[in-house]
Amino acid sequence: MAKFLLLAFRNVFRNRRRTVMTLFMVGGGVAGLLLVGGFFARMFWGLREHTINSGLGHIQIFTADHFNRDEVRALDTGIDNWRQVAATVKTGGHVRGVAPRIEFYGMVSNGDKSSVFMGTAVDPVAENGLGFFPTTFTSGHDLDSKSGGEVEALVGAGLAKSMNVKVGDGLTVLSMTSDGALNGVDVEIVGIVDSGVAEMDARSLRITLPAAQRLLQSDRVTNLVVGLDKTENTDQVAAELAPRLRGLPQQLVLKKWIELATYYKQVRSLFSTIFVFLGIIVFFMVLMSSVNTLLMTMFERTREIGTMLAMGTPRAWIVALFMLEATLIGIFGAIVGVLAGNLLGVLLNYSNLHLPPPPGFTVPMSFQVLHVPSLMIGSSLLVIVSLALASILPAIRASRLQIAEALAHV
Amino acid sequence: MDEIVSVEAVSRKFPLDHSFVSALDAVSLRVAPGEFLAIAGPSGSGKTTLLNLIGCIDKPTAGQILVEGVDTSKLKPGRMTALRREKIGFVFQTFNLIPVFTASENVEFPLLVQGLSGRERRQRVAAALESVGLSARANHRPDLLSGGERQRVAVARAIVHRPALVLADEPTANLDTHNATQLIDLMHDLNRQLGLTFIFSTHDARLLEHTDRIVRLCDGQIESDTRSKGGSRG
Repeated sequence: MAKFLLLAFRNVFRNRRRTVMTLFMVGGGVAGLLLVGGFFARMFWGLREHTINSGLGHIQIFTADHFNRDEVRALDTGIDNWRQVAATVKTGGHVRGVAPRIEFYGMVSNGDKSSVFMGTAVDPVAENGLGFFPTTFTSGHDLDSKSGGEVEALVGAGLAKSMNVKVGDGLTVLSMTSDGALNGVDVEIVGIVDSGVAEMDARSLRITLPAAQRLLQSDRVTNLVVGLDKTENTDQVAAELAPRLRGLPQQLVLKKWIELATYYKQVRSLFSTIFVFLGIIVFFMVLMSSVNTLLMTMFERTREIGTMLAMGTPRAWIVALFMLEATLIGIFGAIVGVLAGNLLGVLLNYSNLHLPPPPGFTVPMSFQVLHVPSLMIGSSLLVIVSLALASILPAIRASRLQIAEALAHV
Repeated sequence: MDEIVSVEAVSRKFPLDHSFVSALDAVSLRVAPGEFLAIAGPSGSGKTTLLNLIGCIDKPTAGQILVEGVDTSKLKPGRMTALRREKIGFVFQTFNLIPVFTASENVEFPLLVQGLSGRERRQRVAAALESVGLSARANHRPDLLSGGERQRVAVARAIVHRPALVLADEPTANLDTHNATQLIDLMHDLNRQLGLTFIFSTHDARLLEHTDRIVRLCDGQIESDTRSKGGSRG
């Protein structure tokens, strides 16, 4: 067996120039997949962390009725004893913080103009405890939890632009109370927020939790946002939390970030499909060009194959030899590709390249490539299998050669 | 049944355009164990075809060939392969060594195919290379060997698995006279020392004086079958 492997190994490097060309082709395919896949993986990672750390959190807790609620009367299905729930959640491991929120909708007006908004009421101290990305302000500052004067508000850059307001201006916020009455509160804009997502900034308004509870006339919250030390711990924490929540008086449900991140899932699905398509192209590219190369090799070695068959070598051995040689080329090509792909990835990561903002975003995207071991293994297996398959036709042809004709081959 | 090879009224026709060309026409030949036999004749006389048929790498159009009493025309492909592997050794005009293997690895190949242990392979390879005088060149690849050395490696490869019969198709055609004579003498020595049956083809008249028996072919038929005075069989 060792001699057979040695024969295959030496045959691979028999025609060095051709082997090098094949290795370049196979390695190029692997490197390309690693770069594209690594870029996508970095993009997924960036989008995931951006989604989580821009406010979604790792886990959110709602009442069981929340997802069947009337959106206008947001707190009808809110959490009553949210302080007790938050305290329960905080005792778990890996939990960095728990923040209560009220999600509500309504109208804002400055006397001249009115606009709909998507509001979020927050506890600034608890929000800071989540350890998320700091809010980016185009002007002004964050909400002050200790403020005793005017109700403070943050508005999205798009909303501020459409309402033609700036920091220091006043707005009237109108929304429906839990009793179904229309209520209003005057707020002072203390900051203009640029989240990087244009659609969010066109509608977002943020006020403090007590102000929203006065506006909506309820001391409930719609949800609790849980921030963890690492995203990778989400499943573990969720599994530990679920039974503890079942022991509380109100029926609550726990949602992991992936269940709430619709946009992330859509992006991931789209780019994963693109990547699979690229993988299929590489697979067939390697397959077709390798068939040609291996057929050429077979024709060149016709007399040698005839000699081996004449000496009583089983035809299955000839098939195995050709497939082994192709598989070895695949393995060497994969090694070349993994090395080249990682090296190029490092160079690209240091090159500080930026891409235009993706759809819906306002900030350019940094061109970064992740080094993903599973991607290296997957891409390598893809080309190895591709080459092994490519060798089937030449291998079968070689094994079926008529010995007398093969020996007379010039 | 003393013969190691028995060729009975064998014909071989090859298709050519819309007709057939006859390479061998009702040839009969019997070869006894231990013979050193030359098949002579001009190009196109059917020497290679006859050797291919005896060597079980081609099948006759008519007639039958028995190797050690086994009718090869009735064997299934697997048994034919096994027969070649166990009973026959081949030497080719163009040496046909595996270029990526060293001399010893080339000689070892038939033993690998037979599935012999590493230790036994090493012993037999050493003995075979010793018998052709190439022990010192064991680790050289074919491209570093002269033509005569390459053909001696091919002879070592043909005898290493102790076959009953060695077939050599124009083994001296690519050698100069000196090397050709040396090779024939080497094969003859092996024939005498090991009792191996050698059948080889040649069109070089100078080599025929080194043989025991000469079968002359012409246009696919046996023209003459003569034995020298020192021939092993009368």
